[in-house]
Amino acid sequence: MLSSHLIDLVLALGMVVLALQVVSERAVLRSIILFVVFGLVMALAWTRLKAPDLALAEAAIGAGVTGALMMMAWRRLLIINPREPADTPRGRSRVAIPVALLAAALVATIGLSALFIDPPTDTAGRIALDEMVDTGLGNPVTGVLLLFRNLDTLLEMAVLLIALLGARAISKPAHPNEAAVVETGTPLVGALLAILVPLSILISTHLLLAGTNEPGGAFQAGAVLAAGGVALVLTARLQPGDRPGVIAQVAVTAGLVAFIGIGVGVMAFGETLLVLPDTWAVYVIETAMMVSIGLTLVLLFAGAPALVGRRT
Amino acid sequence: MTAVIFVLAASVVFGIGVWGLLIAEHLLRKLLALNVMSSSVFIIMLVVAGGGGNGPDPVAQALILTGIVIAVAATAFALALMISIYRETGRASITGKDDDDR
Amino acid sequence: MSMQEWVALALLIAGCFFYLAGTIGLLRFGDVHSRLHALTKADNLGLMLVCAGLAVLAADWRTSALLVLIWLLGLLAATVSAHLIARHARRDGK
Repeated sequence: MLSSHLIDLVLALGMVVLALQVVSERAVLRSIILFVVFGLVMALAWTRLKAPDLALAEAAIGAGVTGALMMMAWRRLLIINPREPADTPRGRSRVAIPVALLAAALVATIGLSALFIDPPTDTAGRIALDEMVDTGLGNPVTGVLLLFRNLDTLLEMAVLLIALLGARAISKPAHPNEAAVVETGTPLVGALLAILVPLSILISTHLLLAGTNEPGGAFQAGAVLAAGGVALVLTARLQPGDRPGVIAQVAVTAGLVAFIGIGVGVMAFGETLLVLPDTWAVYVIETAMMVSIGLTLVLLFAGAPALVGRRT
Repeated sequence: MTAVIFVLAASVVFGIGVWGLLIAEHLLRKLLALNVMSSSVFIIMLVVAGGGGNGPDPVAQALILTGIVIAVAATAFALALMISIYRETGRASITGKDDDDR
Repeated sequence: MSMQEWVALALLIAGCFFYLAGTIGLLRFGDVHSRLHALTKADNLGLMLVCAGLAVLAADWRTSALLVLIWLLGLLAATVSAHLIARHARRDGK
């Protein structure tokens, strides 16, 4: 019994220490890197709590994509003003520590008291687990995401699209070499991309198809696809463009359109709204979602409405 | 016992995030603190949900997964806002004196 | 514990020792190149030993093959990023 709690204590201590480092470190770039490490420790915590889908999502999206977005934003600030100080001063606030202590105490009280309540027997989770037998899926999280509470997932795709449109609406056009951080003179980079990009396509397809019965799913697959795209943007193989072509426009909206199309289309056949007909609908929607999520994340990273191949 | 350890740790991390949010002047640091806070809330959500015999509650997992993706979307939009503010005003910090020197 | 578990334990402890050595090198060395040297050599060796230890404990050969793939990918990423950091540091004159 002690050994399993030892790993819990180490993870908990790691989370607390890393969080403290993230907020109190002076240099912004170091804070961002520490935040990525914090995300990876969180992924370990999710694994310890027996939630592998969340571990995959946290490592790929929470740590990876968020860290990359923040570092690229910091780089853009430096491009606008090269004399931006790398260290930021810590402000002084007399209410900060009391409010933080109060917040921590409040959250601890809520959490601990919720732990000691006996949940009723017909919670949504138990009903979902019971109903999973009738569906063709083996992964209960995918079942909940795409069958039982698919309205949430539908609106989540809409939120991603709105974030992309909003970010593009308020930004100036991106300079072509703004995101090309990696100098292309060295042959190692070409070799890395030759291995990494096809592998990201392979792994994301595997995560997508395995997500119906094992841990995985459209979001994790989309994030891995976005990782390959980010590598291409960083090495200037893909550069920010001005106008999205038809393919880009279709790919970005494919997830939302497929979801709404099938969800509303079933009403023509007598079913209720968003009651998916069978497992094939799950596969189609998840594939469309994966493409949309991957492209949306890469476009958010590149800071442009479109991506073009390398301009020579 | 696992649950109690994680709830306490996540509460402390939440407090640290709140402190970081109040004390940071630069917008990027505020975003970092917000992300730390949301991560701690996700831990508490999963731990409190408990679950059946084989693994935690799938509805809670699905909600947290949705939350992670939406946090990324919101962070990306907030970063675009920050860059836009920087272009307009020349700085990305919020200090106490902002309302006076306009 | 069986022979398999003893071997795995030895490999895992050796891997952790190399990670510790790499981290001490990262914290204590003076300039970027020495730190890169410590990190890429010691950490990749540590990763190999940890993956080997887990592969010994794995339930089937598929998991072991995936662990070898993980090690190779980690090696690839560490190699290229160390190379790029070193080029950048040399160009900046550090």
